[in-house]
Amino acid sequence: MKNAEDSQLVARAVSAQDTAAYGELVRRHQSQVRNFLRKLTGDIATADDLSQDCFMHAWNKLQTFSGRGSFIGWLLKVAYTTFLQSKRKSKRYAEILDQLGHKMETEGQNYSVQPDEVTDLDKLLAVLDEEERAIMVMSYACGLSHREISDATSMPVGTVKSVIFRGKQKIRTSFDIKDHQYG
Amino acid sequence: MTSKIINMAERIKDAEDRLLESMFDSAPIADDGFSTRIVRKIRRRVWLRRLALPVAAVIGGAIAVKPLAEVVTAAVRLSSLLPEELVTATTSLVPQVPMIVLGGMLLAACLLGLRALDD
Repeated sequence: MKNAEDSQLVARAVSAQDTAAYGELVRRHQSQVRNFLRKLTGDIATADDLSQDCFMHAWNKLQTFSGRGSFIGWLLKVAYTTFLQSKRKSKRYAEILDQLGHKMETEGQNYSVQPDEVTDLDKLLAVLDEEERAIMVMSYACGLSHREISDATSMPVGTVKSVIFRGKQKIRTSFDIKDHQYG
Repeated sequence: MTSKIINMAERIKDAEDRLLESMFDSAPIADDGFSTRIVRKIRRRVWLRRLALPVAAVIGGAIAVKPLAEVVTAAVRLSSLLPEELVTATTSLVPQVPMIVLGGMLLAACLLGLRALDD
């Protein structure tokens, strides 16, 4: 089982409802999915809850994985959709409470961490908007290609490239980095 | 050929890309029972799904047994009370039933088609 490729494990999980095969897939990719969602939400507990939801959704949709791209690319698409759905839900919840005259702190609306825990990465992520953050994390933290990011976000490849370009510009400006002064 | 060139261009990383990769990099997260929890949840769901139909059939059957027996008994009693002419007349009407059903289906299809055209 440990030596099997992702696509073989997916085939076993789909055809025989093999939960052990799916468990191996979860073990392999949980770190990347949880890291991705932690970077998107800025909150460990919320990210871990969303990761659980993501893997449950992924199990239900597993037969839709065509095997054309990488499994992690497909999984991050599910994770990103789960994140957006949860945001929409909490936004709607806040709107209803607002209509009823209550104020509510919505979790995960913006990237925010406790002031005493701010890292360089947090500062970096804070300058990006949500879409840029998701795409930059997929590209630089998860190593997805532009094509895979395009599939995961349902955006054209050209848009993905321009979002990455914009994100880089923002980081350069915010951290006062001149072009190619690294290395 | 063009897509190969594009893919290659994507793979060529400059110093900026390498710096960003190192900035975005973070330590792997230990599993700590995470995958076990997910698998346990999924197994529970699979079992619930497998059990749902047989359990519903058993419960439904248990609820339906008494009224069904009453209906059968009543039908048997009623058939013994019917006059013989009525029974023969019903038998002669039976061949018309498929035509009536077919007509009803055609009517329903037409109504649905009209509604679809309206939409």
